[in-house]
Amino acid sequence: MSRFAQLWRTTTVRLTAVFIVLFVVFSILLLGFIAYQSSIQIQQQQTASIDREVELLQRIDQRQGIRGIIFAVSRLASQPGPGIYYLGDNAGLQIAGNVQGFPDNVLTTEGVFSFNYDRGSGVDDTSAAEQGFAVVRSLVLESGLRLIVGRDVVERRGFTAIVFQGFLLAVAGILVFSVVAGVVTARRVLKRIDTINATSAKIMSGNLSERIPVTRRNDEFDVLATSLNAMLDRIEGLMQGLKEVTDNVAHDLKTPLTRLRNKAESALRDGGGGEAQREALETTLAESDKLIRTFNALLMIARAEAGAPSGAFADVDVSTIAEDVAELYEPAAEEAGMTLEATIAPGVHLRANRELIGQALVNLVENALKYYEPAEGKTGRITVAVRADKGRVLIEVGDNGPGIPPEDRDRVVERFVRLEKSRTEPGSGLGLSLVAAVARLHKGELRIEDNAPGLRAVIDLPAG
Amino acid sequence: MKILLIEDDREAASYLIQALDEAGHVTHHASDGETGYAMASSMDYDVLIVDRMLPRRDGLSIVESLRAEANKTPVLILSALGEVDDRVTGLRAGGDDYLAKPYAFTELLARIEVLARRSSPTEAATSYAVGELTLDRLSRKVEREGEAILLQPREFRLLEYLMKNAGKVVTRTMLLENVWDYHFDPQTNVIDVHMSRLRGKIDKGHASPLLHTIRGAGYMIRE
Repeated sequence: MSRFAQLWRTTTVRLTAVFIVLFVVFSILLLGFIAYQSSIQIQQQQTASIDREVELLQRIDQRQGIRGIIFAVSRLASQPGPGIYYLGDNAGLQIAGNVQGFPDNVLTTEGVFSFNYDRGSGVDDTSAAEQGFAVVRSLVLESGLRLIVGRDVVERRGFTAIVFQGFLLAVAGILVFSVVAGVVTARRVLKRIDTINATSAKIMSGNLSERIPVTRRNDEFDVLATSLNAMLDRIEGLMQGLKEVTDNVAHDLKTPLTRLRNKAESALRDGGGGEAQREALETTLAESDKLIRTFNALLMIARAEAGAPSGAFADVDVSTIAEDVAELYEPAAEEAGMTLEATIAPGVHLRANRELIGQALVNLVENALKYYEPAEGKTGRITVAVRADKGRVLIEVGDNGPGIPPEDRDRVVERFVRLEKSRTEPGSGLGLSLVAAVARLHKGELRIEDNAPGLRAVIDLPAG
Repeated sequence: MKILLIEDDREAASYLIQALDEAGHVTHHASDGETGYAMASSMDYDVLIVDRMLPRRDGLSIVESLRAEANKTPVLILSALGEVDDRVTGLRAGGDDYLAKPYAFTELLARIEVLARRSSPTEAATSYAVGELTLDRLSRKVEREGEAILLQPREFRLLEYLMKNAGKVVTRTMLLENVWDYHFDPQTNVIDVHMSRLRGKIDKGHASPLLHTIRGAGYMIRE
């Protein structure tokens, strides 16, 4: 029963019902009109033939007198058929005819009348005691006799009955067809929806990799299923990302926390006097500063990933930021035995978050500094470049250091993916992740390219 | 220096009060927003240290109300929210400086000492002098013992900031914020390299150095 109720609630079944009702109403109107027009036509034909007979009988009455008219009416009345004839004197006494019991007004006035009559007294004895319907014309002849000529219109009613029967048959057929079609379609719709429901139930119970099956019909359900599947892909991606974040937070914060705890513990155990304890406390402080830094980097990445409020976006001069960063790091590079060259196109503007763009550039330059490996006959070189190119703003930091092997280049840009080597290096190791997050926040991307030799990081952002 | 600390975390507050006392400052403490506001508007302090998230009344609204009453006491806002946007809203509300938790006490101390100085009359000076070192802000000339020292524009601004706060500790992040106007977090010793270059220019060849490194805190210029 609930299945039926469910079926009834489907749009298909409801629409079918509405269409059935509409069809029946219009059929009734149409057939009614046809029947009405046809009956008028038949009536007109009957009236015309009645008039012709009346004319004929009037002529007979004029030319042949009472004897002739009595004879003619008697002969007509004896013929089988729908004809109704009556001839009487002015006292109301029937002289000839095939029907009795006319209403009084028919016998006393002239004109056209229609009325029910008792057919048993009529010509057709086989249908005794049947009610007939008559259309008659009544008039007084020159000879003073009353003549009534008419037709039994049972034929007309037969026609209406045929039309009505046809109508009933058609409605019945259409009803059966629509109900079957409606139910079948609705069941198919319900089945498709049931598969979607089943899939979402599976997903809700935890299996995020489940997808709604897509048929080859490419109908509206397939379009819906495809877009739902795309949404599920996105959600699964986000969940995956969240899991990675959690794993990384666990690794990035737990490891230094463990180190911190170990240091404090061993300092307590050793008890090696004031100087040793002081040293232990200092390393503890340094470790906790590192932790804070990692935590800040993670927070900043999370904020950039979530999309910073647009209020922090303003028109910024990227060239100036790059010049500031280059100038800030130039002495440090020199100290490390490297050169820092800046080729910065002037006046490159962008709607951006100034601090985040600055932080991203700082991270890239610091990476170049950090991974520089001094070698014989080689001078370390860092290049900082900013240029505008075909609606893009390109911020590049290149070096001639060890670089990143091609197979790892895509991976380091991915969210929270880091090379094992970089995890053990000093620093939070979240530098590139933050740069990539900043690039994504500005609707651009971070590309890691081969600087032949070395590494080139390109922040590619859409201008404007 | 007379300081008002408005901070609801008792442990953090008592640690700060003790540390400030050791540094020679008198600190009053309010543990909720309403009390803090009442104390700040009724008494005269050199510096206010206001936590952003407080019971009964938040820190930013305290600062806004004080500024609306033309109270110009320097305010350092403390907050667990360390993002750039939060810093901007904090400064816009009328705060003079913003420090994200967790912070090093040396950083806090350096900042409030510089802040308190701000309300003193030397603010508008056109030239600074520390010993025989002079800096003229208008002609942008730096001399030591009458000898001109040529500085790059950034070095000039570094020295200007140090001399304006002569005798006070200036931390690396303060230098980055005030000389470069960035709030990011450099992991290498970028500031130290700039400072050693500056030191080379002003202290080299002189018996008594003026630019001092304060271990674990930052730098200071003094005789």
